[in-house]
Amino acid sequence: MAGRRWTTAIAGPLFALIIAVSPARADQHLVPSSDFVRSLADRAISTLTAEGQSSEMRREQFRGLFREGFAVNGIARFVLGRYWRRASEADRTEYMALFEDVIVNTWADRFSEYSGEKFEVQKAFDAPSAHQAERVAIVRSMFFIDPQTPVRIDWRVASRGDIYKITDVSVEGISMANTQRDEFSSVIRSNRGDISALLEILRKKRDG
Amino acid sequence: MPLFKRGCGHFFGIVLLAGVLTACATTPNSDPGSPADEVSANDPLELPNRFIFAFNVGLDQLVLQPAAVTYRDLMPDELKVPIRNLITNLFMPLSFLHAMLQGDFDRAEQAASRFFASAPALFLSNPDPGRTPVYEDAGQTFAVWGASAGPYIMLPVLGPSNLRDTAGTIIDFFIDPLGIVAGSEATIGRGISSAVLQRSRNIEQVRDLQRNSVDYYAAVRSLYGQRREAEIKNGDLEPTRAAPTIGLELDAAPAPKQSSDATKQ
Repeated sequence: MAGRRWTTAIAGPLFALIIAVSPARADQHLVPSSDFVRSLADRAISTLTAEGQSSEMRREQFRGLFREGFAVNGIARFVLGRYWRRASEADRTEYMALFEDVIVNTWADRFSEYSGEKFEVQKAFDAPSAHQAERVAIVRSMFFIDPQTPVRIDWRVASRGDIYKITDVSVEGISMANTQRDEFSSVIRSNRGDISALLEILRKKRDG
Repeated sequence: MPLFKRGCGHFFGIVLLAGVLTACATTPNSDPGSPADEVSANDPLELPNRFIFAFNVGLDQLVLQPAAVTYRDLMPDELKVPIRNLITNLFMPLSFLHAMLQGDFDRAEQAASRFFASAPALFLSNPDPGRTPVYEDAGQTFAVWGASAGPYIMLPVLGPSNLRDTAGTIIDFFIDPLGIVAGSEATIGRGISSAVLQRSRNIEQVRDLQRNSVDYYAAVRSLYGQRREAEIKNGDLEPTRAAPTIGLELDAAPAPKQSSDATKQ
């Protein structure tokens, strides 16, 4: 009798716990994904907009945050599309370095123009993932460049275990990765599939 | 109601024309040789398009951008809000019509209530700041009805478009309630004002895009296509175009060796 009472006593709460936990499991990456974006944005704003920084310092700080928060290699390879497979080992290595440099320079300089506009993470949605072991969340945020018409920014966050990385950023539904991919493939196509023309443009962008 | 009759006559003529145009647009245009992950730009007119684009960029630098800068710098901020509200609210009848045609009654109601609630203040007010304006047009309606975008077209002066949206622009010129009630001068005036307003809010962004893109023409083409998709989906999360398949696996995977890869191709 005592044994049976014990089982009912434990089964009830256990059952309740399973009910409570199982639906939460499906989206347990959503809150950490939102926190991840929020903390990355806060750190970017506080470090990159600090007074009296040279543009070199700002760029190196941005590079650190970019590598930490973004799936840089994955983005770079996606953006090159099918031309990645055709590229030589040397071209791939140079492309990876150039891609990161150009993004770092562009965005670090953009941050220098930031002047305290409000940024607000609102909520996260579950999104289908191409990989079984990974979860994808879309973290929706608003950037109040103009208080009347805020800009909607969606962050695509892939996660596996404790690792969280941003794989794409969409501004008002426009994906940065897709835009960059379209641009790069246009340049390569107009040079008959030769990646060296793109590398030349990226070199100029990095040095200019 | 002679005005209404005139609008209706045009409407049916144009619907016929649009049917022909969008039928052309929906013919499959996929290249069987291209990999599935590559979205083709569908730009068979790229050479003339690039030529017209160069003309449009010149026109923008000479006319639209100076007008936009003048507006931004000289118009008092107190007047900018009512001006923007007026232009926005004058788009609502057309948005209402197209939301109805798309069967989206929520958005139709939203467009109508924004329009009528602002009427007592001569359409200069935004009745409910929490209520965002609704923008619907014939191109979006055709997309909801199942027409695909068709080839990309760079229109002189009017800018980026595609076959479906060009047909939509022509139709909207005739069926716009504002045009039917107040004449085509009103729709043209609204179009020009709206262009200056939009441009005045994007001066830095356009400059940034011109400076930082590796192919400005391709960037604009990509942005146009994606923006239209977002507008058709009304900001829903499900993307019509495959979302980037960037995963951590791809990020962490070592670069495959060229030799082993070459055997696959």
